[in-house]
Amino acid sequence: MLGANSGAKMTATPVTRVLGVSALAATALMAVLGLIVSPPDVIQGEAVRMLYVHVPSIWIAYGGFALTSISSVLFLRRSKRRADQGRHYDRLAGSAAEVGVVFTAITLITGMLWGKVTWGTYWQWDARLTTTVLLFVTYLGYLALRRLPAEPTVRSRRAAVMALISFVNVPIVHYSVDWWRTLHQKASLSVGRRPEITGEMYWTLLYSTLAVTILATWLIIHRYRVIRLEELRDEEGLEALIASRLNKDVGGH
Amino acid sequence: MLLVARKDLRVERRAKIALGQVAPLALLILMVFAFALDANTSLLERGAGGLYWLAVLYGGTLLIQRSFDVETDDGNMDALRMSAIGMPSLFLGKALALFVQITVLELILGPGILLLYNVGVVDWALLFAAAIAGTLAFSVCGVLWGVMSAGLRVRATLLPLLLVPVLAPVLLAGSRAFETALGVRAGAGWTWAGLMFVIAAVHTALGLGAFGFLLEEG
Amino acid sequence: MSEVATVVVGWGITFVILATYSTWVVLRGKGIGQELGIGEVEPDVEQDTGATTDS
Repeated sequence: MLGANSGAKMTATPVTRVLGVSALAATALMAVLGLIVSPPDVIQGEAVRMLYVHVPSIWIAYGGFALTSISSVLFLRRSKRRADQGRHYDRLAGSAAEVGVVFTAITLITGMLWGKVTWGTYWQWDARLTTTVLLFVTYLGYLALRRLPAEPTVRSRRAAVMALISFVNVPIVHYSVDWWRTLHQKASLSVGRRPEITGEMYWTLLYSTLAVTILATWLIIHRYRVIRLEELRDEEGLEALIASRLNKDVGGH
Repeated sequence: MLLVARKDLRVERRAKIALGQVAPLALLILMVFAFALDANTSLLERGAGGLYWLAVLYGGTLLIQRSFDVETDDGNMDALRMSAIGMPSLFLGKALALFVQITVLELILGPGILLLYNVGVVDWALLFAAAIAGTLAFSVCGVLWGVMSAGLRVRATLLPLLLVPVLAPVLLAGSRAFETALGVRAGAGWTWAGLMFVIAAVHTALGLGAFGFLLEEG
Repeated sequence: MSEVATVVVGWGITFVILATYSTWVVLRGKGIGQELGIGEVEPDVEQDTGATTDS
């Protein structure tokens, strides 16, 4: 057992503590910049401030899902040599995907609110919104697949394959929906929401992305640890079960 | 190849049983669509292409489900894995069997929409090309994702959840292509059909690569 | 909803989601850590080779 402290049971390390504090500070500053310091937009007014949560969120989500795919490739390659190898890649894939899903949800919610105030509707069948929902559901499915009652190696392998297929498939879906909407766009429809991003807005957006990235990294690391702890717990539970069965056999006769 | 063919026949014989239920069900779905849309003839006519593919999606999912239930129920999975049949043949064999089954389903649905929704065919070539492309895509994706959720207790709800986002562009493309073929809306029907072929090709490639991984147990 | 109200709600929901998720992840980690009786857990991403080597 690793240094069993009867006192504080921590799952933190110096690295994550620094990261965590940085994330907190960075997001606080992001709020100040985004909500107060940066200027309102000429056309949209204060509503433009949604930009600073909406856009970084989707970028981070994409990053998370990319990380999932890369991790999955590495996992499959490692586990080919020996079934037990490469599990850390599998954990990373799962962790990054879940964080990605959270940020995709944020993207959708902020997007809909932003749409309500700029377009007048919560929803429009434009390419970006539609593909984002499909992306969201795709990775929800991935997370569901990861939770299935099956042997861990089977489960991990299937999840990894799914991540790879999704990596190929998501652009296809994106392209299809995009093409569909361009064909059916009526002239007056779908005013772009993105304002002309200049000066202070540009830097605020950039900074917000940085802040969100730090936060996401911290989250992915912690989520990774939780997965590892869960695996440990399951393994110990299994060992205990086997041990108790053996004891029963010995004692009962 | 012989093994693949034999496997197909075996699955097909079972499929006759399944189709006896799935095909009428799909036809029922077409009726139910009409109920839902209040038998609004203009809506049904405009939506015929899309509704067709929705019915295919529903029936197809059931057929895919069944295709793998059969394997796991009979404990075939282990036998298949240990047999000399190569993974590619296995994958293609199942896809082919599924293709046949879904085609039969569509042969009933096709006349169904022509009759029930009062649409006429303007471009037969496009109609068939789109139908084949879409069915191909359905079959290949179905086998690939069917395996992903095979042998697991919650597969009944998991399969659609995984499958539909993947098939969304096929649904999209199929509906648009059919709309053009049925003369409902002028459009780039052949490009949509082409897209479905591309999707089918991509997933065939992915499936051939990944099938081995997916069937290995531990 | 006015512009300001939308911005407040949007940012608010975002922070609530992130705070809730962060708290859940950390608490869950501590919870399982306690279950296992582990003190300082340092599963470095680099070092992990998959097999449980401790205990």
